[in-house]
Amino acid sequence: MVKFIAEYQVLIFALVKILIMLGFFLNLAPVLVFVERRQAALIQDRVGPNRAVVKVPGFLLKGALATPALLAGVAVAALCFKFFPANPPETGVGRGFWMAELATLVLWSHALVLAGYVRVSGDAANPLEAALRDMRDPRWIFYTGGFLHLALGVLYGASSPANEAEVSKAFALGGPAALAGVLLLVAAYLGYRIPSGTVELRAAGLLHSIADALKFAFKEDFVPPKADKLLHSLGPLISLFPALVTYAIIPFGDALCFGTTNGALDVTKLAETASTVGACAEGQQAVSLQIADLNIGVLYLFAMGGTGIIGAALAGWSSDNKWSLLGGLRAASQMVSYEVAMGLSLVGAFMVYGTPRLGEMVRWQAENTWGIFVQPLAFFLFFAAAIAEQKRTPFDAPEGESEIIAGYFVEYSSFKFAMFYTGEYIELVTSSALLVTIFLGGWTMPFLHRDAVHVAFGDTVLLHSQMSHLVATLLGVGIFFGKVLSMSFFQIFLRWTLPRFRYDQIMAFGWKFMLPAVIANIVLTGLLVLGASSAGPSVASGLRLAADATGFIVIGASAFLAVKFARLLLSPVERARFTSSGVAARVGRVGRTPETPMQA
Amino acid sequence: MGNGIIGKPIPRPSRDAKVQAYLPSVVAGIGVTVKHFFKNTKELAFGQRNDPVLEAFDDGVTTISYPEQKRPYPERFRGVHRLTLREDGNPRCVACLCCSTACPAQCIHIVAGEYADADKKGWEKYPVSFVIDELRCIFCGYCVEACPCDAIRMDTGQHAVPYDSRDQFIYERETLMSFSDPSGRQLTENPKDDPARGHTPDRLKH
Ligand code: SF4
Ligand code: SF4
Repeated sequence: MVKFIAEYQVLIFALVKILIMLGFFLNLAPVLVFVERRQAALIQDRVGPNRAVVKVPGFLLKGALATPALLAGVAVAALCFKFFPANPPETGVGRGFWMAELATLVLWSHALVLAGYVRVSGDAANPLEAALRDMRDPRWIFYTGGFLHLALGVLYGASSPANEAEVSKAFALGGPAALAGVLLLVAAYLGYRIPSGTVELRAAGLLHSIADALKFAFKEDFVPPKADKLLHSLGPLISLFPALVTYAIIPFGDALCFGTTNGALDVTKLAETASTVGACAEGQQAVSLQIADLNIGVLYLFAMGGTGIIGAALAGWSSDNKWSLLGGLRAASQMVSYEVAMGLSLVGAFMVYGTPRLGEMVRWQAENTWGIFVQPLAFFLFFAAAIAEQKRTPFDAPEGESEIIAGYFVEYSSFKFAMFYTGEYIELVTSSALLVTIFLGGWTMPFLHRDAVHVAFGDTVLLHSQMSHLVATLLGVGIFFGKVLSMSFFQIFLRWTLPRFRYDQIMAFGWKFMLPAVIANIVLTGLLVLGASSAGPSVASGLRLAADATGFIVIGASAFLAVKFARLLLSPVERARFTSSGVAARVGRVGRTPETPMQA
Repeated sequence: MGNGIIGKPIPRPSRDAKVQAYLPSVVAGIGVTVKHFFKNTKELAFGQRNDPVLEAFDDGVTTISYPEQKRPYPERFRGVHRLTLREDGNPRCVACLCCSTACPAQCIHIVAGEYADADKKGWEKYPVSFVIDELRCIFCGYCVEACPCDAIRMDTGQHAVPYDSRDQFIYERETLMSFSDPSGRQLTENPKDDPARGHTPDRLKH
């Protein structure tokens, strides 16, 4: 087995990486379809997708929900108490502290959810739930939780040399015990509270995506009688193709470094710490978390992405339908136009980063600053061009429902339609991943280095905490996928915000605004890069400081958003009242809507 | 030249730099959507507003939650067609092609045939094949009006359900004969034109 792995490890690594990316992208497509509908419903304050329902036997649901908590609790207890004596005391204490904090978090968040549930449904199964239901303001649960968090922190930080031993001991033992206890409690409560009968599971409308997928698979595949059969079938294939190959060059994490045996990479020897310069230390071999590290880098992406035009144009042409022909024409001309601006908008980034390879671009950003700070104009231009390439609002004239029904895929049904649709959403994820990689620092965060969290401004070090290589890399992978998710989420917001451009406006915008703007960006960037590289060391150190400052800007902005979010969560309900006249007034007087018999 | 069109002058929308730059307005717009989304999500998640799905089942709410609740169709609702039967189980249809002639959507196709034992039965023609394309049908009811012997009716009280493919919408003779009205009757409501029951109209008697 080991020999087999050693022999084919390159292949195995490639397969694993492909599986990770394919899994992420393909699963995200239906999830984004759901997100899009749910977002629309919640923005416009309507019900949204909620009809799809599966009837699950209660014991299955109990098992599915309680087992993870049960397993986690048992695992925490087993791991901590079995391996505790082997740990050096400090890590034991630190771990104990974090576990205590986590236990508090789990406790108050679950209490909040439970309170929300009993307050809506009104049926309390025991005195505790009754108390939760009748308490005046459930926000106190949150405040209490926050207070507990703080108290724990104070307790942990305030240990004086006199009582340090006791505090350490208390945390090292109490933390894991509390976490395991809370998790087991949650598991037990879930088992107790989930009804045993059949439960109707709606999952906030997520099931609609599954229902849609089933329908796509089983519906009739209709081809118009006079359509060109071959091209009609080829259209969706060609459209889906770029979506399925472009993520091959997107790096989703930093390189993993392994030790070597006889000059060959040895999977069992994962490096403990990473070198801070270059990819890996001397005598180590890197496994880059990127399916293919091509030397043409992002150009491959443009080459592949460009083929999507052919798919749309073919579909429009071969359908034997004037709407689809118009849609295909619009799609082709729009994509060709914006391809130009999209490619040129990255030339500035090439100049700054000095490479077309995405992995190296991210490394540059890790060492200096995020791309959005050095190429702000290019960021917006690339963003706009990417949306136009995906044919999404406000650039969705090729499928303008009100003018040409659904454009080039008007004559497509069942799985061929699903291919267009999936391709579109995967492209959304790909463009988010590209934006994140080129402009938003990829898998990096400010102050998060390959070996440590290191907060510094100029030469002043404010915080330094060491991390192992594996943890740092995994954190980076998580950060990358998190950023891609938020970016996709944000792109969907655009769809519900902006109205569609008219077709001539799209063309004018592309050729008369985007093109001059990207060329101006290239010239400006060229001048600045030349100036910065020929200026003296004082300018260089000034730029260094500015780069550090951008790190604080990112962290500050994130903190600002987090505070805003917390404030929103705590804000009271303010409901506009329209009860002054009409039906609402009558309902207000009577106290309920009038009874209307179900009649024909 | 006429007087031209007299209209009310409407002031042009303001085109100041902020609007023309597009980006600030976009950002403001996104801010509005994001705010609504998070506010509504939060209120729904925290139970600070009624769940619209559960609420729809409450008494006094006149919105019907299809498909859990269904509104019964009115008596004269034109549903999918059925071919009424004679007492011996044969279709009442005499393949006169009146319905297919009257049909504005041209979605009825009939092949007429002749009973071997026509003398004994008292009528001779019958539809060998009777096909209605329910996808083309516009549910106008003209076929029912045209039929001289009440052989085709639209009183099934059912609408055409969404099938997976188009050929499932093409109802054959046997399918049409298998339907009944909501009370389960497969026979006709007014047997007066049935020669077998001795009600043959005078004009048809020789
Ligand atoms: S209802 Fe109208 S359209 Fe439909 S079959 Fe009868 S005549 Fe034709
Ligand atoms: S259904 Fe009525 S109108 Fe149509 S062919 Fe038969 S008898 Fe004639």
